[in-house]
Amino acid sequence: MRTLHKDTVIAILLLLFCGLLAWSSLHIRLPGYGTLKPSTWPQIIVGVLTLFSAIYFVQSLGYPATDGDKADERKPGISGFLEYFRNPIICFAIYFVFLATLPWAGALIGGILLVFALLTVLGGWTPRDLIRHAVYATVSMGFMWTLFTFGLRVILPEGEIFSIR
Amino acid sequence: MEHILAALAEIATVHTLALMSVGAIAGLLAGAIPGFTIAMAVVLTLPFTFSMTASQGIATMIGVFVGGLSGGLMSGILIGIPGTPSSVATTFDGFPMARQGRPGLALGLGVWSSFFGGTISAVCLIAIAPQLARIGLEFQPWDYFALVFFALTITASLAGKNLIKGLISGALGLLIATVGEEDINGVSRFDFGSDYLQEGFAFLPVLIGLFAFSQLMGDIRNPAEARRSLAQTGDIDIRIEHVKAAKIVLSKWGNLVRSSIIGIFTGILPAAGSSISNILAYDQAKKASPTPEKFGSGFEDGIIAPEASNNATAGGSLITMMALGIPGDIVTAVMLGALLIHDVVPSPSFITEAPVLAYSIFIAFFFANFLVLFFQSIALRLFVLVTKVKMYVLAGIILAYCGIGVFALNNIVNDMWTLLIFGVVGYAMRNLGFPLAPMILGVVLGPIAERWLARAVAISTDMSNFITHPWSVFFLTLSLFSMGFGLYQRDRGKKVWPLYYTPLMVLALAPAMFMMEGYIRPGIGVLMIAGGLYALYRGHQKAAEFKPVAEESA
Repeated sequence: MRTLHKDTVIAILLLLFCGLLAWSSLHIRLPGYGTLKPSTWPQIIVGVLTLFSAIYFVQSLGYPATDGDKADERKPGISGFLEYFRNPIICFAIYFVFLATLPWAGALIGGILLVFALLTVLGGWTPRDLIRHAVYATVSMGFMWTLFTFGLRVILPEGEIFSIR
Repeated sequence: MEHILAALAEIATVHTLALMSVGAIAGLLAGAIPGFTIAMAVVLTLPFTFSMTASQGIATMIGVFVGGLSGGLMSGILIGIPGTPSSVATTFDGFPMARQGRPGLALGLGVWSSFFGGTISAVCLIAIAPQLARIGLEFQPWDYFALVFFALTITASLAGKNLIKGLISGALGLLIATVGEEDINGVSRFDFGSDYLQEGFAFLPVLIGLFAFSQLMGDIRNPAEARRSLAQTGDIDIRIEHVKAAKIVLSKWGNLVRSSIIGIFTGILPAAGSSISNILAYDQAKKASPTPEKFGSGFEDGIIAPEASNNATAGGSLITMMALGIPGDIVTAVMLGALLIHDVVPSPSFITEAPVLAYSIFIAFFFANFLVLFFQSIALRLFVLVTKVKMYVLAGIILAYCGIGVFALNNIVNDMWTLLIFGVVGYAMRNLGFPLAPMILGVVLGPIAERWLARAVAISTDMSNFITHPWSVFFLTLSLFSMGFGLYQRDRGKKVWPLYYTPLMVLALAPAMFMMEGYIRPGIGVLMIAGGLYALYRGHQKAAEFKPVAEESA
């Protein structure tokens, strides 16, 4: 069986997405006032996106199955993908944890931990690195937190473990 | 003349200039911090102006305004994060130029383009404010919609090599902007029952996520490269090349003047502003360039156009505020508020009733450009040290700063989630070959287009209004040609038809000029027809001896 080109798969996903949005746009509440219905503009855009996605799908059928522009250093399979995108995946995960724990840790402590974790994962964890990263994290986030809190009077998220009020 | 001298005496005092300097520095800082908008900086300045005189207060705010417009270019060029929406297009070429080892030149070009753009705008402000402002009054919802529609068609020229992926990216941007409660009726769309989606996506978290977050992830993907600094990755010149940059900017005077005029014109139109003008100017510079393919790869014209236009927009919006008493954007609305606090009521007769104050504002704007140039030159020396920091350190700290910056925008933690989500989306799109610039354009312009369309339809459901209003006809005609620009770019030098593209566009725009009032613009229409016919004749001659340029071998 012929393997689908990456662009074909994306085009199919886009068309499915358009279908979902088209269905959702039919359920937008219509108030009894206003001349331009709230659903009109989104429906125009979904229509345009569907048209473009269909063209993209047809174009992609003409592409060869093997992906010529694939990153040459990337190994095939899931393990190759995970290895190639290791750093971005870890960074996204750390950022996710930072946001999930923000109500508990707060912007200052959470931010320091975020910067420390990112620097350590990306830059190495020899004892010297750890000390340097801790200093960078504390100084950079401490400065930013102080600037926003006292300089600009923006109260950043306060966690359960640290509050200035 | 006596009013100008009296105004000069008001502004050219040590006290006022010191206040303006503080404002300019604060504006530069605010512009450089991603997520901290110029409007926020001007609003924060407002309470400090209560104790000042009207001219001092406005002068300080103008310092913040001009500083903010210029400050956005520093982060945009050096770290790829547009500090404000008005510097989005600056990153398209400024960031690649910095990556190629020329951050000093990129910053120099940005600073000097901002300065010249602002100065041209200031001269226009002093010379022809009331006349220009009348054009703004001619615009009705149909014309505004046509203008924004034209800006949306730029997607085609920003798409780069893969036109269909660029168009999909632009449409996705428009779609993102429709999520949540709409402005007109307050009806929620595409929320799927989620409170988070019901609130919609704020523009800046989306912008920073798509552009900055995804860019940083790309920078640190390779572990070895992540541990190098920009200065280690190649031969980097971190001196700010002021003389060279100023010479380049002046040598590209056509682009500079055109971009400044686009900026002034966009500023005059209420609710348009620098977030649109920088993209319009970039697009027009690309279309007018003999080498449009160089745009996006660190090309000088790609920095000059957006930076000249966004600073010129400030003068344009001041023209509307001064001549008509209409705030064109949030910043001028806050300035109007400051004037009201000092018992000055802006109105169409403001310039005649309070000439000294009016000219004080003109002169303050003129001086602000010089002050910003001076302080930015100092700030750049510190900012450029960024290129010596290792990439992973930069990425880690900037990611945290981005989070705090987007939270400060609305004090909502959900905006930080939006940042992460669009960071992932942006990174995936980059890796799948979808250009991000059209998406940003869609997110910025989508709500504006819908708003004007709703207003137009609310006034009259007769769609013929779009072809009976001259400015609407002008921009819709321009849009048609803009949509074909991608094909023009592809076929130029290879096929005959692009030789007729520009003459036909000029000829097609002429009828709109005839529809306009007065004698000057129809006169310009006559010149356009004469010029267009001559260019068509020249194009026909060239077509007869046309030899296609050989395709570059792969």
